[in-house]
Amino acid sequence: MTILKKIKENLFLVAVALAYIILFFIKPSLGIESVKNSGYYIKEMLMIMPVIFILTALLDMWIPKEKIMRYLGKDAGAKGIFLSFVVGSISAGPIYAAFPMCVMLHKKGASIRNIVIILSSWAVIKVPMLLNEAKFLGPKFMVIRWVLTVIAIIIFSWISAKLIKDKDLPGEVLAQPGLHINRDACMGCTLCVKNYPALFEMQGKKAVIKTYEPESLDIEMLQDTIKACPVHAIEYSDE
Amino acid sequence: MDIFTLAIWIGTLIFLGISFFKDKVRTKQALKMAFGMGKGMVASILSIIFAIGLILTLLPPTEIAGFVSKQSVLLATFVAALFGTITLVPAFIAFPLVGTLVNAGVGIIPSVAFLTTLTMVGVVTFPLEKKEFGVKFTAVRNGLSFLFAIIIALVMGVII
Repeated sequence: MTILKKIKENLFLVAVALAYIILFFIKPSLGIESVKNSGYYIKEMLMIMPVIFILTALLDMWIPKEKIMRYLGKDAGAKGIFLSFVVGSISAGPIYAAFPMCVMLHKKGASIRNIVIILSSWAVIKVPMLLNEAKFLGPKFMVIRWVLTVIAIIIFSWISAKLIKDKDLPGEVLAQPGLHINRDACMGCTLCVKNYPALFEMQGKKAVIKTYEPESLDIEMLQDTIKACPVHAIEYSDE
Repeated sequence: MDIFTLAIWIGTLIFLGISFFKDKVRTKQALKMAFGMGKGMVASILSIIFAIGLILTLLPPTEIAGFVSKQSVLLATFVAALFGTITLVPAFIAFPLVGTLVNAGVGIIPSVAFLTTLTMVGVVTFPLEKKEFGVKFTAVRNGLSFLFAIIIALVMGVII
């Protein structure tokens, strides 16, 4: 059962691995070429992902929720839209590099609309890309495409915000009193168990809360554990 | 490494230094958190990368370009947008490729559709995006991006 569950959780990974195995059996030369073609992307990932993770974690630690809400939240208005375009455009790396950053920003109060803007501009309007485009397709082509893309992103981010509610995103749990772990978000990094072994333990690949007496909680240690969770899966409220 | 990636590295390292100077414990927590995030995403990212390698081998961009250049504008636009959707091509390959397309007389519309879906819409990144943002968000964002990629392409065809 657990193997089946694991396969289900990583369906895409399993599919890709299977495709490679089949290809290596049918036509090994194509298999080797595929691995070689992947090489460039591995280099690209190693160059950008470590720094994105560190930057995301640092911003998460030092920038208070209220600030993110004020600058990128629902009421940030035109200023928020502009800021989102700036964040996306000065970034580097492929679109998936924007995922951890955007998840963190959304959890700290950035609006859906601004998240969509950051993701989209991260993908298409990066400055080094624009220079490349002007070189090969001419400055006029580049400028017109850039203006149209910005307009398109402004429109469809607005539509997205109408269609998607905050609760459609994982990791949004209603604030109930007590201590909770969002099992969908938990990815089994075991940090909480290391930080507060008396309260958390691993069950399979997910963290669970041991039975506890509310009076015996070490709130400071708990708060540190909550902050340390990379996916913010732990929630605590004392009312 | 392009200058922007370098700038992000330098900026982050300075940030890390200041953070460490101000609060060692919190900085250590942040680094652990970064490591945890990386561990959570590495399998998904590797499957994306190897899927791209596979697609580029089975459907080489040059062959797609050759196919697209022989079709009518409408079909070419659709095929180009679709091809842009299933893969991610680095800009230094994409722009010369599209430049060749335009010079060979393919037309602006399919070329632009290809460029936009190439980077914004991702079939290979769909599983990871779904895991991080949920099905609805991922479907709406990718769907709208595809639709607007075609609209941008059509408008550009009229303007240029």
